[in-house]
Amino acid sequence: MTDVFGAGLVLAASGPEIPTIDDFLPPEILFQGTPFAMNRIVLVRVVMTVVILLVLGITAARAKLVPGRWQGFVEWGIEYVRDKIVYEVMGEVRGKRYVPMITTMFFTILLFNLCGIIPGMNIAATATVMMPLAFALWTFVQYWRAATREQGLLTFLKHECVPQGVPPVMLILVIPIQLLDVVVIRPLSLTVRLFANMMAGHIILALCLSATQFFLIEAHNAMAAFGAITLIAGFVMTLFEAFVAYLQAFIFATLSTVYINLSYPED
Amino acid sequence: METLAETSGIALFIPKVYDIVWSLIILVVVAVFFYKFFLPKFQSVFDERTAKIEGGIAKAQKDQEAARAAKEQYEAQLSNARVEASKIRDDARAEASHIVADARSRAESEAAQITANAQRSLASQQQQALVSLKGEVGALATALAGKILGAKLEDPGVQSSMIDSMIDDLDSGAKTAAK
Repeated sequence: MTDVFGAGLVLAASGPEIPTIDDFLPPEILFQGTPFAMNRIVLVRVVMTVVILLVLGITAARAKLVPGRWQGFVEWGIEYVRDKIVYEVMGEVRGKRYVPMITTMFFTILLFNLCGIIPGMNIAATATVMMPLAFALWTFVQYWRAATREQGLLTFLKHECVPQGVPPVMLILVIPIQLLDVVVIRPLSLTVRLFANMMAGHIILALCLSATQFFLIEAHNAMAAFGAITLIAGFVMTLFEAFVAYLQAFIFATLSTVYINLSYPED
Repeated sequence: METLAETSGIALFIPKVYDIVWSLIILVVVAVFFYKFFLPKFQSVFDERTAKIEGGIAKAQKDQEAARAAKEQYEAQLSNARVEASKIRDDARAEASHIVADARSRAESEAAQITANAQRSLASQQQQALVSLKGEVGALATALAGKILGAKLEDPGVQSSMIDSMIDDLDSGAKTAAK
């Protein structure tokens, strides 16, 4: 670790500080060595959780029959998740049970993602593998439970692994692939999609801004114009990251709903 | 630049123990918050709002219904009142003509009675006049005749026969006049 930082310091003098994957493996800064150790990202996550609990908690506690602007905005978010994600995919009858789960996922992932562009935090709270994985495992548990409850495990597996109209010979290939999909690929793809998006967003953003810092402030040469371009790029990328934060939360919530819905028997 | 990324990329995908701990703690905390407080609270607000709106619509419908009923009742009463008014008018008219006819007949009978009374008193007065006249005329005529005839009438026998024949004359004269 110290070697990495040493190298970073040396390079800072001669060129822009390039963000690396080490940004996602920061050193432990609190309770080192215990199971409750915290690094920068975990700390960001805890802080954001407290903010969510406070802000949304106060909003809910003060919720009135005639909403103000902020309450209206929060209600719009709740209704958006309910109507446009859950009910849209699985309908109201099936969906009712999963509204709280998907709402929790959407709101939490969205706000955790947005930490990536909040000054001072500058890294998404979903930017270690475990947080997306935890959400994905929740989805995983829920769609297996739904399958067991709604049609029985065997019927579900048969339905998923033996698609209709596939020639029997092909089943040798299809069954393992489908089984892999249900057991591993679905939760893993959820995890990696979110995690990788947050990583990539952070690296691009950090690259733009550190390049701006280097060319505009440290270098003092003809490259200053290039620094202006990277500054604009950094600005644009910040907006883009805000969009990605929403998009990834939406995709995660929608796919979770779709996976759960696949566990229900088709009519 | 690769030298910076000394950590193998695969390390990113191997969660640290503390990462697992904190991720799960936070997931549970957030989930409990949303399940137990945030969503039920908003759901109750939504339900209350729906109930209020539906209640408002129902109330408006009820009010409209009541207004319509009141209007119908009012119109019915109005037409009833019209019928009654025309009936009362007819009755009044009939009664008025009745009263007029009554009054007229009463007036006529009264008039007839007054006329009869008048004639009766006229007749009795005439009778009275006749009686008193009879006495006075007798005395008057006697006095007059005495003056004219003077001495000739000093004789009481002549006097009484003369008076008697004169009264007879007057009597028959009054009888013819009364007829």
